[in-house]
Amino acid sequence: MYMATNTHILVPEFDYRRPGSLSEVLALAAEHGDRARLIAGGTDLLVQMKMERDAPSLVISLAGIEELRGIASGDGLTIGAMTTIRDVAGSATVRRQYAALHEACQAFSTVQIMVMGTLGGNLCNASPAADTAPALLVLDARVDLVTGEGGRSVALGDFFTGPGRTVLAGGEVMQSVTLPEPGAGTGSAFLKISRVVADIAQVCAAVRLVRDGDTITDCRIALGSVAPTPLRIGRAEASLTGGNGGLEAFERAARIAAEEIRPISDVRATAAYRRHAAGVIVRDALTTAWRRAGEGGGK
Amino acid sequence: MSASDFQSVGTETWRQDGIAKVTGAEQYAPDISVDRMWFGRVLRSPHAHARIVEIDTSAAEALGAVCLTFADIPKVKYNERIVSTPPCLYRDRYVLADKPRHVGEAIAGIAAPTEALAEKALRAIRVEYEPLQTIITMDQAMRDGAAPIHDTIRLMDDDIPIEHNIAVARTIEVGDIDRGFAESDIVIERKFKTNRIYHAQMETKTVLCRPEVDGGLTVWASTQSIHNTRILLGEIYAIPLHKLNVKKAALGGSFGSSIQMNSVTPICVGLALKSGRPVKIVSTREEDMYDHVRYPSEITLKLGLKADGALIAGHMRADIDIGAHNIQAYPFLGCMGGFWASLYTLPNLKYEGRAVYTNKTPSCAMQGFGAPQTTFAVECLMDEIAADLGLDPVQYKLAHYVGLGGTFWGQGPASKCIIRSDGVPELLKVGSEKIGWKNRPKAGSGSGRYRRGIGMARGFHTSGVGHPKTSGAEMIDYSGAIVKVNEDGTVDLVQSLMDHGGGTNDAIAKIVAEEIGVPAQMVGISPVDTRTTLYDVSTHATRGVYAGGAAALKAARKVRQMLLDQAGRVLDVLPESLVIEPDHELGQGVIHCPNLADRRITVGALAKHMQINSLGTIAAAESLRQVNCPPAYVSYFLELEVDTHTGQIKTRRAVLGSDCGTVVNPKLAAGQLVGGLSKGHGYALIEDNHWDPETGELASKGFWVDGKTPSMSESPLLDDVETHFAHTFEPTGPFGAKGLGEAAGNPAVAAFANAVHNAIGVRFYEVPITPEKVLAALAAKQGPGAPARPEEPVADEPRLDPAPAGE
Repeated sequence: MYMATNTHILVPEFDYRRPGSLSEVLALAAEHGDRARLIAGGTDLLVQMKMERDAPSLVISLAGIEELRGIASGDGLTIGAMTTIRDVAGSATVRRQYAALHEACQAFSTVQIMVMGTLGGNLCNASPAADTAPALLVLDARVDLVTGEGGRSVALGDFFTGPGRTVLAGGEVMQSVTLPEPGAGTGSAFLKISRVVADIAQVCAAVRLVRDGDTITDCRIALGSVAPTPLRIGRAEASLTGGNGGLEAFERAARIAAEEIRPISDVRATAAYRRHAAGVIVRDALTTAWRRAGEGGGK
Repeated sequence: MSASDFQSVGTETWRQDGIAKVTGAEQYAPDISVDRMWFGRVLRSPHAHARIVEIDTSAAEALGAVCLTFADIPKVKYNERIVSTPPCLYRDRYVLADKPRHVGEAIAGIAAPTEALAEKALRAIRVEYEPLQTIITMDQAMRDGAAPIHDTIRLMDDDIPIEHNIAVARTIEVGDIDRGFAESDIVIERKFKTNRIYHAQMETKTVLCRPEVDGGLTVWASTQSIHNTRILLGEIYAIPLHKLNVKKAALGGSFGSSIQMNSVTPICVGLALKSGRPVKIVSTREEDMYDHVRYPSEITLKLGLKADGALIAGHMRADIDIGAHNIQAYPFLGCMGGFWASLYTLPNLKYEGRAVYTNKTPSCAMQGFGAPQTTFAVECLMDEIAADLGLDPVQYKLAHYVGLGGTFWGQGPASKCIIRSDGVPELLKVGSEKIGWKNRPKAGSGSGRYRRGIGMARGFHTSGVGHPKTSGAEMIDYSGAIVKVNEDGTVDLVQSLMDHGGGTNDAIAKIVAEEIGVPAQMVGISPVDTRTTLYDVSTHATRGVYAGGAAALKAARKVRQMLLDQAGRVLDVLPESLVIEPDHELGQGVIHCPNLADRRITVGALAKHMQINSLGTIAAAESLRQVNCPPAYVSYFLELEVDTHTGQIKTRRAVLGSDCGTVVNPKLAAGQLVGGLSKGHGYALIEDNHWDPETGELASKGFWVDGKTPSMSESPLLDDVETHFAHTFEPTGPFGAKGLGEAAGNPAVAAFANAVHNAIGVRFYEVPITPEKVLAALAAKQGPGAPARPEEPVADEPRLDPAPAGE
């Protein structure tokens, strides 16, 4: 009921630990299971705790775990789960090779949120509106999850199971996000529509195209804020793959995307506007990604 | 006289609180803490309209909290904004609600050693409500048989019945509109609707109250008037004013939402008195969004004109949704009528305003106080008339506006003045040139996805509420100031006038420096409270520099004369032969006789001489009411770009002009204009508060994430915002200055709407002009059967604007 929640006062009491190593984190997480929550930047968790949507008895900080931070190039790119949105946005490699992710991080609310929020936190929070999720989906990202027993790698497309829900098991920690090396002729883009710039998306979209001359050899299209989870639009992707790029094809794919999504009306936008705007930004993102793919350099 | 004749006024200086503000050292009310302090919280109604059957606080008290309920508070019905005189002061509220009239209304207060415990105890309070009919719209409120939100209210010593939930109505008539319309060749009528937006000030309403051993109180509060806060608390709690001290804390923006004593302030005082402890309440953002909101309006405007466009008659009807309490509906209605009468010459006019209670957050003043609403209707309709007649809107408006020698209604029928300075011709000329007005597209002629349009609007705000009469005033309007010379020649400016953040106090310090003849940096702005200052009504009505500055000028003039008299004795010359001038190298004011080079002493040396010889302190305390309320004109020329595919609108260029008379703080004045544009952008295109018609809750539930205002990220780059100032001198203002603050935003909404019309050929009579509305209007323009999505060829590449942050 109204006024029983606020974003100012943290009412519930809880224990707080700040381990110095990942193994300690894993041991604590295993020991406390569902009663514990991990805190990265805290931009989502603390708000949820203040609103009492979440009341863990233990909060385990990941702030002291250096190995979870940073961006490493090699065969593709590995981004530590604790890397801040600001650091991802500022990475020259991300900007050059993974434009959709760069743009998603740039569009990420305010500077204050960017310097606190982390890539892993954004994914584990599993908001349908998470800006980085559609971008990482089209970039074929995988997430590395670990427990004290060992690790597993999960395709991001299999990671989200519902609003606020993921395949993360109790005691499991996201370690990093890995992205494959973009092949020649790849271009990607991300676009977002929101009430004001520093706001949660009314709708956001990311696309990636691989271009061989005038032909699209591979394609990914994903949207956020239009369904219970960030969504790949297979039918729209299929309509493009193998065909020629160009405005007509992009318009057609955008129409399919607008039909496939399941938006709702809420305080941020009507379902009708979301559907309409989704079509526009998918087409625009495809146009931009196509141009980038043609400019070469895997951009 | 112009700014270049001055030594301090009009010069660039660092604002005195600048470093404290940018380093975070400044103390706003939420930053202040005292020993033994407890924290207060407020239990708020989940019902929009209900009767309280029972309140049980025992479980909360068992947790160690102190509770304050309706049973504990003085049964004093008050109006929280005591700027109006008693005959105009509609009193309809208590410290805690006798019955909740909107979701979020305060039911009980609670104090505990920690904020978390206070919150926990708050939830342990049991309240039994009997819900009553929820009234969300004005139509519902005025319907026969609608539940009365207030049965009676207090006015002077009377209980006044409220009929059909109409809190107050006002009619203003000039001439004879029936004859005027009969003589008109053209009659045009349009309905306009403006939105209900949250102030979005940085600092949520905060108060700290410390009971003192002598039975008195010390209070720190977010307020635009420390004196009115003191007077009202004294009345409610029957505390003599000499034992009640309200201290000035820096104000983190307000936009009008603290002209009234905020609702948490008297609750905190009640808690402090009951607990015997200092208690601090910092409103949560959610509470704050349920506490105050801009007056929304529904305006029907009918104008009658001659074939050449000359205005003959006007009829305006305005309905204002005031929410659950009447904070200042009476002056608001008067201001709307008066501002309308002051925009364009209308020999025959009739204004009918009604203010209607609903079960929503109480509406209150917000930057412009009826001017943005009125200006939106008038400036859009004038634009439309000009277009219909084939006239240039700029020329049309110049031909008919109320300017030099005309009458300006600064604050409704009771505060009027003759206009003695008028920068409108210069503002419109310069604005037209800078934006490229002559080359603007023909309305709606653009093609392609992105369509640019140029629009303009002009407007004003009053400078204070001054008027010549000695009785019968609707509003209180005076300021006081103490100016004293310290023993080293520096000067203390001791004034209770609040600075919202725009630099009002800095401007007044410069006025004092200018008058005395010392360098600007020698005048310090003192930290003050109600015990050590003269009364000041409030920083509202754009009166800070014009009215508050004039009071300080009066005191400074006296100080200057005392310095001359004392220096005359020391230098053995007649005081009339002396001048005081700032010496910037010395960092002193120098008193000297131009005819006798050896007769010379610094203000510092004179003050020191007076101290060691026990000759006293040079100081003056003065109080002053302005007898005029001159218009501070502002012009907006905007270039917008409408994305016809997404419906989004971007501001590409803005040329903002101000006639504030002499510009006292050039950079801060320009900043006021840019701020006005930013707030106006949200007002015109984005912000609105939606309410659930069943529950009476905000659709956003008060969460800021869905209430944000536009930020730097979507504002045009500063390079694309030009500000300019008219070269005017207001003879009744301190060193020629008038107001600026509220005027800076008043034409914004109209300018946005006119520019959108120029871009896509559609007139919007309702704001905000959201992307959804733009798309719907474009679809409607294409005719029935047209697809909702524009199907035109995509000639333009999608544009990627520079990323908001990072790079």
